[in-house]
Amino acid sequence: MIAREVRYGLVSLFLILLQTQVMRYLSLEGITPDILMIWIVYIALMSGQMHGIIWGFSVGVVFDLVTGNFIGLSALTKTICGFVAGYFFNENKTILTLRSYRFVIIVLIVSLVHNTIYFVIFTQGTDIGFIRAIFQFGLATALYTSTLTLLPMFRFGRKYQV
Amino acid sequence: MERLINIILLFKEYIVLVILIIVSLVLLSNNDNRQLHAIRGYTIGFVGAMQNALSVIPNVFELKRENRILRQLNVNLSDEVNRLREARLENHHLHQMLSFKEQGKLPLLPADVVGKSLHLLRNTLTIAIGEQDGVRVDMPIICETGLVGKIIATSAHYSVGQLVLNKDFRVSAKVQRSRIVGIIAWDGGETLRLKNVAKKQDIREGDVILTSEYSNIFPRDIKIGTVVRISEKTGNLFKDVDVEPNVDFFTLEQVFVVTTVPDMERVSLEKNAGHLK
Repeated sequence: MIAREVRYGLVSLFLILLQTQVMRYLSLEGITPDILMIWIVYIALMSGQMHGIIWGFSVGVVFDLVTGNFIGLSALTKTICGFVAGYFFNENKTILTLRSYRFVIIVLIVSLVHNTIYFVIFTQGTDIGFIRAIFQFGLATALYTSTLTLLPMFRFGRKYQV
Repeated sequence: MERLINIILLFKEYIVLVILIIVSLVLLSNNDNRQLHAIRGYTIGFVGAMQNALSVIPNVFELKRENRILRQLNVNLSDEVNRLREARLENHHLHQMLSFKEQGKLPLLPADVVGKSLHLLRNTLTIAIGEQDGVRVDMPIICETGLVGKIIATSAHYSVGQLVLNKDFRVSAKVQRSRIVGIIAWDGGETLRLKNVAKKQDIREGDVILTSEYSNIFPRDIKIGTVVRISEKTGNLFKDVDVEPNVDFFTLEQVFVVTTVPDMERVSLEKNAGHLK
């Protein structure tokens, strides 16, 4: 169990590095996929809601500290993401979920929740309207992120072939 | 205890979620950017609206405290109002005295009244200037409203004045309107008495009485009072004329001593003429 947590920690650090340093090269019209979101959903689907919440918070805090943008915002949104994703946890159907489009849909739902909360807070006091932000960035990011989820989905499909 | 632990275990995800959300919000609140300023603004607005809505419910303890503070404030303000009123009256009074002093051509010495008796037949007042200030016996005492009396005794720094309300006091007076002359005296009543006014002479209630030119001590045209009652008795050649003093002796606080001395030439001449009669 400890080994699993260590693995989660190491992968999280790697993915944070990837998100901050590499993902901008995959940016389309300013829309960047959120691989940390996929990772948190994965943890929640693999290990349950509690893990999703704790790792969501941990990843969010580290990401906030690394980017230094709005300390606490990613921690808040990703904690809620882990919580929401945890509702889809089913110990007996973990692999089945990860290797099917269910994984993609869960990422899409969680991503929409994440972006809604994120932009509710982020657009306060700015000239950017919330509706515009959610359609222009929130929805697009959620779609891009869930599209990117196809990669791990296919990976799990090949790995856990029935 | 076991039940509590069971409840905690049952809702552990929710508890952890709430704790981590609170931690996130604390982290968020440490930022200093415009988003947070806007959220703080909304929060303050929301809290204000809630407080406003709840303010209809009276807080007895708060009301008591507020009431106590307001009462204290009321006492303080009343005290201040009284002091301001006093200052205003004093200011008004001093203004009157100043303008009186400036208007008159008489040489005046201002003096504070430090003692007075008003319930005797021989009423006097004590003032806080004396011989060293130039005060001499027989100098008239006046104030802005009229004749007060004359100096009857002096020391280095104090003087005693004989009031108009003194059985021994006499002053030559005249009616301003008709120029009739008489003698003002006091019999111990509420008013002064203008004596030696013949029955046929023209005098009316409301006439103003001034000091006349005939006095050796008092300057002319100092207001003494107003005629309030005229009566005639059969078998008497003169009218009984009651004069209300113009000066309020009860509230008298400052006076002026007129530093004129009698014209000795006139006094001497009149004295000599008296001997010739």
